[in-house]
Amino acid sequence: MSDRLLAAFPGLRTTSFQITSPPDFAYNCIAWAANDCTEWWWPLDDSRQCFWPVGVERQVTLEAFVLAFQTRGYSVCEDQSLEAGFVKVALFADADRVPTHAARQLPSGRWTSKLGHSEDIGHDLRALEGAIYGSVVLFLKRPA
Amino acid sequence: MVKTPLQSPPRSAVNETVEWRLRQFEEQWKAETQFLSDAGRIINHPAFQAIISLGEPVVPFLLTDLESGPSLWVWALPEITGENPVPEADGGNIRKMTDAWLKWGLEKGLR
Repeated sequence: MSDRLLAAFPGLRTTSFQITSPPDFAYNCIAWAANDCTEWWWPLDDSRQCFWPVGVERQVTLEAFVLAFQTRGYSVCEDQSLEAGFVKVALFADADRVPTHAARQLPSGRWTSKLGHSEDIGHDLRALEGAIYGSVVLFLKRPA
Repeated sequence: MVKTPLQSPPRSAVNETVEWRLRQFEEQWKAETQFLSDAGRIINHPAFQAIISLGEPVVPFLLTDLESGPSLWVWALPEITGENPVPEADGGNIRKMTDAWLKWGLEKGLR
């Protein structure tokens, strides 16, 4: 199981990570980052296929993703530093700044991600950067 | 993620069953979309579209899979059947969408 992850995310080869759930089709990384494990969040045009916060434009843009997290109390912040009393989310995007992935910071300062329809893992934030998710482009935070 | 060309199963009387073709396409689709959150890319993947192209004969197999738990087949079934029993309020809740399709299957006598 780990070999599959190590092949997809080379950054995991040189850092520690833990698989924390079995694969699950019920939710995706955006939902998991927003602390929701009951829905698949994505701004698909068809609202009967994917969840997206009401009132937020259904566009695959960083602006729309920021607005989606704002509906859950998040606001943009500067960096990934651990701040007491706050939970942070990191948004990943490809070279064209199209959102691909989100991760949520744990109280330990490490990060948790749902990998598509695969597992949840605990990981170093930058370990997931690469061909599939691109790079971290933006941080948000809200009171814990 | 490396995307391989759509692998059409070899045609033969023995193995060219709808379920066999479904499982071939499913394996490729799962492998190549497993880490994606982008529903558009997952749905538009060639293997997923190939499953949709199998048409109504594949529906009972998809419904059987749904009995095992939430599945993204709920995104294929509206395309195949032209119907959608999922209430607007449950859009994106894959578990509730799965339940709605299972109920639909019972009503249609497909389960």
